Amino acid sequence: MTTAAVTRLALGARIYAWLRGRRSTWRERTTARDRGEVELSQRRVYILPTRAGLGFGALLLALLVGSINYSLGLGFGLTFVAAACGLVDMIYTYRNLAHLHLRPGRGSAVFAGEEAPFELQLFNRTRLARYALWIDLDTMKDPRHAVDVAAGSSTTVVLSSTSRQRGWMKAPRVRLSTRFPLGLFNAWSYWQPDSRALVYPFPEQDAPPLPSSGHPSPDGFGSAGSDDFAGVRSYQPGDPLRQLAWRHIARLDPALGGQLVTKQFEGGSLDELVLDLDALPPRLDPELKLSRLTRWVLEAELRSLPYALHLGRQRIGAALGPAHQAACLEALALYGIPDAAR
Amino acid sequence: MRSLRPAVPLSRDKQDTLLLLASTVLVLLPHTAHLPPWVTLVCGATLVWRAALTLLGRRMPANLLLVPLAVAAMAGVLQTYHTVLGRDAGVAMLVLLVAFKMLEMHARRDLFVVVFLCFFLVLTNFFYSQSIGTAALMLVSIVALLTTQLSFQLTGAVPSLRTRLLMGLKILALAAPLAAAGFVLFPRIDGPLWGMPDDGHAARTGLSDTMAPGQFSNLAQSNDPAFRVKFEGAPPSQPQLYWRGPVLGAYDGRTWTRVLPRPNFGRKAPSAVSIKVRGEPLRYQVTLEPSDTRWLFALEMPRALPQLSGGPATVTAELELQASSPVRERIRYELMSYVDFNMQAGDTLENAYQWLLLPYGRNPKALAAGQRLRQDYPDAMQRVQAVLRQFATGGYSYTLQPPLLGGDAVDEFLYNTRAGFCEHFAGSFVFLMRAAGIPARVVTGYQGGELNPIDGYFTVRQSDAHAWGEVWLPRLGWIRVDPTAAVAPERVQRNLAQALPAPSPFGFEGLGRLMQPDPDSLLARVRYAIGAANNGWNQWVLNYTAQRQQVLMETLQENLFGWRSAALLALACALLLIAGKFSKRRRNDPVDRLYSALCHRLGQLGLPRAPDEGPTAYAARVAGAALAPEPKAAAAEFLRRYSAWRYAPPQSPPHGAGLLTTLRELLSRVR
Repeated sequence: MTTAAVTRLALGARIYAWLRGRRSTWRERTTARDRGEVELSQRRVYILPTRAGLGFGALLLALLVGSINYSLGLGFGLTFVAAACGLVDMIYTYRNLAHLHLRPGRGSAVFAGEEAPFELQLFNRTRLARYALWIDLDTMKDPRHAVDVAAGSSTTVVLSSTSRQRGWMKAPRVRLSTRFPLGLFNAWSYWQPDSRALVYPFPEQDAPPLPSSGHPSPDGFGSAGSDDFAGVRSYQPGDPLRQLAWRHIARLDPALGGQLVTKQFEGGSLDELVLDLDALPPRLDPELKLSRLTRWVLEAELRSLPYALHLGRQRIGAALGPAHQAACLEALALYGIPDAAR
Repeated sequence: MRSLRPAVPLSRDKQDTLLLLASTVLVLLPHTAHLPPWVTLVCGATLVWRAALTLLGRRMPANLLLVPLAVAAMAGVLQTYHTVLGRDAGVAMLVLLVAFKMLEMHARRDLFVVVFLCFFLVLTNFFYSQSIGTAALMLVSIVALLTTQLSFQLTGAVPSLRTRLLMGLKILALAAPLAAAGFVLFPRIDGPLWGMPDDGHAARTGLSDTMAPGQFSNLAQSNDPAFRVKFEGAPPSQPQLYWRGPVLGAYDGRTWTRVLPRPNFGRKAPSAVSIKVRGEPLRYQVTLEPSDTRWLFALEMPRALPQLSGGPATVTAELELQASSPVRERIRYELMSYVDFNMQAGDTLENAYQWLLLPYGRNPKALAAGQRLRQDYPDAMQRVQAVLRQFATGGYSYTLQPPLLGGDAVDEFLYNTRAGFCEHFAGSFVFLMRAAGIPARVVTGYQGGELNPIDGYFTVRQSDAHAWGEVWLPRLGWIRVDPTAAVAPERVQRNLAQALPAPSPFGFEGLGRLMQPDPDSLLARVRYAIGAANNGWNQWVLNYTAQRQQVLMETLQENLFGWRSAALLALACALLLIAGKFSKRRRNDPVDRLYSALCHRLGQLGLPRAPDEGPTAYAARVAGAALAPEPKAAAAEFLRRYSAWRYAPPQSPPHGAGLLTTLRELLSRVR
């Protein structure tokens, strides 16, 4: 290998390293989590011609060639006016997006598998009305939301993303784009909102009935008797038809997730309902355990049975009500996740 | 009037479509002037159809219906133009395409197709007209197209049509300086890039290289400019303005034509034509309108050939100037002429016979008269003067409507009708001269020109077309003799309009005189101003060629790129930078601006805010002050709201338009 070749190789490697460096800084810039409010600065707005813009370029070429060939003085005028309008459009498109302020809004909790809504606020602190801003998650091919932000005002957009697993779900990267006014250029920008949504475990579909106490008898969860009416629980295959709570079913709206419920009868005294993770069969999948407890929390709340939740060392005393339910669900959602304290 | 408005406002899509239709109509309208009527009708019907579909909310026709229609339209174009590729046929095809595309719009992409086609149609309109009015219409069309395009981009809020038009106008206004810079600086290439189709140029009026009866009186009806001239120094007097064109020497009894050089007969090379000149030359620039012929016009007598960009100009033995190819666009050339000259002033004239030929057996009376002249006057100059005297005193009249002449045209004119235009006088004069043994020929061209006092350009119009005679005398050479001047001296002294008897429109004598404005009237001044504007437009916009660009660039370079301009530029940049910083500092929140306004107003009422005072403390002081109750309450409410907004926790929603409106309203109540 000659010296020149070595030099060339070294140069190539350096250029490659430099490009890689550029690329990683670019990636960082486009994926870095933005704390709090963010301004889409000049460096964050990208712009490229659209297909219509390329067509416009072809049109300009045709106008120019026509003007030259037929020596149309006014044709040159038209060509340059059209070209300048294209340039002005480029600046307008860029300006339609640049210096927009973004702030993540409040996130709300969902069950795994549901659509997690992310509220995003767009502030326009300039004197320039902004039209036709398209906004959606970066993963979406075609943006679904278009908003306008009048001068000196703000708009809220709610984007939803399917949640997959329990715990904190980070807001996915958001892509904002615009083609206003003429559609010849597409300006876009990325934003990684600093917001998260709490994802509760998925409530088990065919969960066994609620246990009566934290200490199940050896033959399973056998305190469900048939003497005293204890309440209702969700229908499970195998329940006798005459035990279905028909009046209850009629009251529940199927559209609100209402399902068949079964009357539950219990013998013996009504113990305090303790939902204990460790009381579940040890061979059960840990996630399934959490899933079952989630179902039970919901069911106990539905039946207005005060319940306590024991998750290892974490214990939540017996209570009822939305706040208690939320606390229990949050504990279930974050159980065993190391950086949950954040 | 209310009932005319639709009860339900039109949906956005419909509004946008109607806007697109309106822009398309605006673009197509000027084309109706040159399109065949059936194309205009088909287009109009298609657009009306589309408008009806939009208004009624019907579906668009199926392609099964559209395709045969489009094919039929293409066949129609082929039938009309016998081609689909030429310039006019192409324009007709494009117009039809746009109209049919309106019925086949399904996606957003189709909108762009229509708008871009419309842009191209604006260009094709320049084949037919490039006047200032056309340019204005172009700008209006561009604004309409931009407004349409941006309307289609809107998603949610739709500003009023007025606001959108203003947006379009603003884009155009911002684009204008850029476009002007591009127009001036973009390197120009002299076209054409490829061979143009034959119909690339419309038929033009102008001088041809023959002279047949009626030709000049036809031209006299045309007010089109033939060329414009700008003299460097003082312009010569009107009777000296003879613009030399084709020289005609062959007569067949009806038409005068040029004497064609015979290849094997060895006519003298142009360089052998001896010209003696005296006095100072006149330098001038001619801007020639396209004539579709090769003739270039020059003041008698030009020395040196003009520099043309297309190819070298040539000169013939008769001192006619020719371009290398037909003049199909406005060209500009510099020339130098001497008014005082002698041409071929020798003792003999080579090939003199060809300036003495007469058609056999025609015009016997004139022939006999010429031979009589030869006997009566031994001196050639006397013969010339005798004929001129005959024209001046023989009851001849100068008219635009000469009577029709038969086979012996010269005889009939000279001895019967005695009324004619310059072509009759020049033709008969040359005939008589030849019959009298003097070599003579007809020179055609233009005589005179109108000076526009505003820009100093002479405009020579087609109506200034003229024919005169040239006779060769020993030792004097070729001498210009204008027999028309003997009959109607005003033609040469002033212009054609002065030489002709006044027309009497609607039968009222004198009305015609009124309609010929005197050169100092307001009407004449307006006419001069319009003429100057048109000429400036032609010189600087339509004929901004590579050559002119080069001259301009050199001037700019000389004037701009010294150290002074560099220093000025640096200064301007620094000022802009400072102004930018300053304006950035001032650009604050609109709510804060309102707060400042309130403080200012309260200060006017005698309650200025102390520099260290916050809104709450200020509000307390205002509440305790002696103010009218209503402004006091408004100010207190303003300050409360401002304070609540200013010191709200950061995650609270920002002020919407609502807060601004409320504050503004409260501010207006503090008086």
